[in-house]
Amino acid sequence: MVTNPSNRVPAIAIENLRFNYGDKEVLHDVSLDIPDRQITAFIGPSGCGKSTLLRCFNRINDRIPSARITGGAIRVGGIDISRPDLDLQMLRRRVGMVFQKWNPFPKSIYDNVAYGLRIHGEKDSKVLDERVEHCLRVVALWDDVKDRLKSSAFGLSGGQQQRLCIARTIATRPDVILMDEPCSALDPLSTLKVEELLLELKKDYTIVIVTHNLAQASRCSDQTAFFYLGELIECGPTGQIFTRPSESRTEAYVSGSFG
Amino acid sequence: MENPEQLIRKGVHHDRLKEGTVKAVLGGLTWGVVLVALLIFGRICWDGAPAVLKSEFPFVDTDFLTAKTETLHVFDDAVGNRHSLPATEYHAWVEKEGSDAVFNEQTYSYSGGGIAGPIAGTALLTLLSIAMALFFGVAAAIYLSEYAKQGRFIGLVRLAILNLAGVPSIVFGLFGFAVFVLAAPVFTEAPSERSLLAIPLGFTWFSFQGWNSSLIAGAATLACMILPVIITASEESLKAVPQGFREASLAMGATRWQTIRKCVLPFALPGILTSSVLSLARAAGETAPIMFTVAVAAKDDLPWEGLSNPFGIFQTQVQALPYHIYTLAARIPSSEFTQRAQYGSVFVFLMMIFLFSALSIILRNRVRSKLKW
Amino acid sequence: MPDSPTSSSVPADHPFRRKGRGTDGLFKAFFAGNAGLTIVILVLIIAFLIREGAGFFPDYRRELELYRRSGLEFVDLSRKDLTAHEQMSSLLNRAYYAQVNASCRNEFQRSQEAAAIVNYLGEVVAPAQSALQRVLDRAGEEGVPEELQASLSAKYQALLADALAGRAGKGLPPTPHLSSAERAGLLADLKSRDPLSTDDPALVLALQEQLSARQDAAAQPLEDFRAAIDAFADASVALDNLVAESGDTVKAIKEAATLHEIETTKRATLLEAAAKAKKPEDKLQFEAEARAAVTTEAVDFAPALKPVLDRIPEFREANAALSAALAGAGDKLPKRLEDAKAQRYLATFRKGMDAYAIELADTNAALVAWRNDLPIGLGSTILGFVTGREWITGGEWQDFYGIIPLFTGSLLIAVIALALAIPLGVGAAIYTNQLAGRREQNFIKPTIEFLQAIPSVVLGFLGIAVLGTLLQETSMKDSLSWIPGFPIQERLNMFTAGCLLGLMAIPTIFTLSEDALNNVPSSFAEASDALGASKLQTIFRVVCPAAISGILAAVLLGLGRVIGETMVVLLVAGNRIEIPDFTEGLGVFFQPAHTLTGIIAQELGEVPFGSVHYRALFVVGILLFAIVLGINWTAQRMLHKFRIGHD
Repeated sequence: MVTNPSNRVPAIAIENLRFNYGDKEVLHDVSLDIPDRQITAFIGPSGCGKSTLLRCFNRINDRIPSARITGGAIRVGGIDISRPDLDLQMLRRRVGMVFQKWNPFPKSIYDNVAYGLRIHGEKDSKVLDERVEHCLRVVALWDDVKDRLKSSAFGLSGGQQQRLCIARTIATRPDVILMDEPCSALDPLSTLKVEELLLELKKDYTIVIVTHNLAQASRCSDQTAFFYLGELIECGPTGQIFTRPSESRTEAYVSGSFG
Repeated sequence: MENPEQLIRKGVHHDRLKEGTVKAVLGGLTWGVVLVALLIFGRICWDGAPAVLKSEFPFVDTDFLTAKTETLHVFDDAVGNRHSLPATEYHAWVEKEGSDAVFNEQTYSYSGGGIAGPIAGTALLTLLSIAMALFFGVAAAIYLSEYAKQGRFIGLVRLAILNLAGVPSIVFGLFGFAVFVLAAPVFTEAPSERSLLAIPLGFTWFSFQGWNSSLIAGAATLACMILPVIITASEESLKAVPQGFREASLAMGATRWQTIRKCVLPFALPGILTSSVLSLARAAGETAPIMFTVAVAAKDDLPWEGLSNPFGIFQTQVQALPYHIYTLAARIPSSEFTQRAQYGSVFVFLMMIFLFSALSIILRNRVRSKLKW
Repeated sequence: MPDSPTSSSVPADHPFRRKGRGTDGLFKAFFAGNAGLTIVILVLIIAFLIREGAGFFPDYRRELELYRRSGLEFVDLSRKDLTAHEQMSSLLNRAYYAQVNASCRNEFQRSQEAAAIVNYLGEVVAPAQSALQRVLDRAGEEGVPEELQASLSAKYQALLADALAGRAGKGLPPTPHLSSAERAGLLADLKSRDPLSTDDPALVLALQEQLSARQDAAAQPLEDFRAAIDAFADASVALDNLVAESGDTVKAIKEAATLHEIETTKRATLLEAAAKAKKPEDKLQFEAEARAAVTTEAVDFAPALKPVLDRIPEFREANAALSAALAGAGDKLPKRLEDAKAQRYLATFRKGMDAYAIELADTNAALVAWRNDLPIGLGSTILGFVTGREWITGGEWQDFYGIIPLFTGSLLIAVIALALAIPLGVGAAIYTNQLAGRREQNFIKPTIEFLQAIPSVVLGFLGIAVLGTLLQETSMKDSLSWIPGFPIQERLNMFTAGCLLGLMAIPTIFTLSEDALNNVPSSFAEASDALGASKLQTIFRVVCPAAISGILAAVLLGLGRVIGETMVVLLVAGNRIEIPDFTEGLGVFFQPAHTLTGIIAQELGEVPFGSVHYRALFVVGILLFAIVLGINWTAQRMLHKFRIGHD
């Protein structure tokens, strides 16, 4: 299971990143490589900056007026995503995101999945149909919803809605999927399904997942990064982080002494 | 990752252009509305301010605010000078010069003098109506937020409030006319013929024959109109008081009423007063409900003058600023001589309304920033 | 605490035992009573509207019955044809004058502009001029007082100089159709004109001459058309006379019947008083008065009507004359008129010909079939109110209460208002909520809130004093004459009222739409952003659809406000109680109209308490109440649904 990330070109490279909300620095000098087609888990206590970092990768933090990068750089596929001529919509198309609280649109199930394709100009209904079916099959939702594709997405259960959101994200064929605590609001059974889905998706996508659930990180991820108070304390293959961490704070956290 | 160079934008982005266009169009619409609002405001100030301002100290011409409304006489004298005088001055002038010295006379009703009568009438009407509406409205809000539980009665009350808020003002006028002017109960020596029901009480009659067109009838109509606004706003203020205050008080053995009086009302009061200032503006601004219930176009006395007893004030008809403007706009042709009365009244009226509105906005912001739980 | 858990009451001497009833229940009842007040008010509104309005239909039915029994209805059968004939002739006349005026529009405007300048100057110098005139008029006896004359002349010159420089009043009127040399010449002429002269300057006269010459020239080729129009118009003379004569007869019948009824009522009242009277002499007095009260015989309708009904053959003859004129007119009218407006009137006339011919034939049948003793049902009275095309009150002939003209007025004005307020209000809400910067928001929102605070009577005043004139003057511009309805004939019309009401509805729609947009969870927009949508795609594909029910509710509440608004329409809509003339196309919006709200405000103050008219106004009120309540209720339903959708 454990592979050496340095063998491949990193999907995302973070170099000495500093990040502020207003005057408050919340990420201090973080450097990290996210390897291609692997699952990287970010762990750490609440408020340690792991979600903030994740939200930098597709610049969704731009929505918050006071948020800004004050130093360092993030490179996606070697391209600095802060450069002024960056095509932001293309970046977000290539770096998809699944949120903590499922947020399907107030539209039908079909329209939710097709939304991303439509906004990128796909009008051919045949292509849409195929892609929607494919994505719903990948997230193992097809059999449940194939008869009610036109009904509202709000009629689904929480776990189903979250998987619908994942389907919506992979519909545009991103390279990277960012997941911000995707299971924190789900029951154990739904969580299990999402985790199985993650391992399935790993074949085609680079996945970064933020999680509070240490067991989940150890079950699914290939690489784990531990954050504490806005600093990257330690990053390495998951097995190593959980069994023989090099930092005492990491050990204290994974053993449950705090957090 | 394949083809990372896709991330770099080439040439002018089509979407950007589209976004710019849409933004410009919508922004144009929005600023158009804002501009119209400012133009209206500017026009009224430009034409109306001269009636109440003057160039030398203290810059305020109080004559217009304190003089009674009179008929304006415009005429030429023998030497070809044009005069424009309110009725009293005109009669004095005629007394002195003789009536054969007046040529080309034109008269404009209600356009001379000042607007003391309408201002006084509006002030009385508004204060009286807001006092009634506050008393009943706050009490109703207390019931809704502190006592009521879900149920049939409460559902009905909420439905009634919702519907009342939507009733057109002219229907309130009809209602006020039919109920307060024609059918409200009074004590009287001799019940009139149209009385709905007259109950003999021995020394006097209790007769449902209405209050006639009077200050009290108009104020009651206005109070009914602003009641839903006051209830809704007061309930919101009461609900904004944290539940913990009530629980703490009840836990110390206070009764419900003690809790409300000591731990809820004082904290909700600023909010209630703020909203009531806004209703004040609404009550002062409405014309349709007072047309048939209280307002008169011309009246020689101020409301409190020439009364036989102090309570008589409730039974008098009064002039009101919005009705005065209606009269000036509808019945008097616009000319350079009536402009002072027309624009001046509108200016004073608008300033009053804006003062109330601005006051309530300032108060609201103050209350919000001060009381944070 | 009770000794046993099953015990239901606290022991008498225990501190937990409640003492007395307590005042809390009283307080609760007091507050509940106040809350119930809202229900009471609503019930009172409904009850009193119905109480005052309920009597309307029976009373109106009685009036209509008298209308039928005394034969007014019979005469109206033919009068209706006459009115239609008049309208048809007026269409032809309008076509004729449109055609004539189309070719002398320029001359007309030149003449008008020159006259406006002369009038303006005349008004400004009037005080000095008339004083001077008076001085000279009296000069006969004691000679002209030189000093006074000199001072007045000086004053005249000063006023004239002021006027020529445009300093007085509104300034010199503009003259876009006069050349600058003509204008200068005119002003110079006026400047040098003798102070006492009121003769028109040469230019004005010349322009008038030009105009009439041009008109004559334009009328030349249309002589046949003119003759056809006159022939058609004259065809109604016979019927006109017939209707006038029989009208007088039936009116006399109705008056006699009314008088008799009043006297009978008076007698009944007196007899009642006599029965109640306590003193015998009072009783005798009342009874005597009662006997004297009735001075007229009850009208026997059938014989009284006989002379009118006997003339049915004459009516048919007159009708035939009209039909013949109508049939003849078809050929004599020109095939086409060059001017588009004239052609439209002509086409409307041609279209109406068949309908009118059928109507004339129907009248022939109706005249014979008409009976004065057919009863009128309550149902047809109500139908007559709801579908009535006329609202005529205070007339000598017969009052009609038909809601359609008022309803059409309210509706058309609401259409204009919403056509303005929806794009502006919703657009501004989208812009402010989604696209504007924070600083912009902080300016836009309070300004629009201020707009909401402006009382409607002030807007109405501005409509009369500023907007009406402004729109009318703008519509005079040559460059805008392609707009249907331009130039605007009436200063106060539905369009002006609609604009102002739109302005009133904008804040309502803006505020509520903005709220609805604000209430869309930001997670939707975030998800859309994360999928790579552009800002516009997020706004128009996710945020707006999610807020759509809130926006619709906002629009509906705006509509409710527009329909229920009184002062603006009362002041600005022009108050003409007629169904607008839809033959004008879109120009219909520039006609004056009356509204449901306006009619109540205007007429309630003037009607006798308890009369049919008074009750009719309350029925209009009930209708208004129901419409607005329905709109608001739908809006609330929508809002409610919207909230549930998001939880």
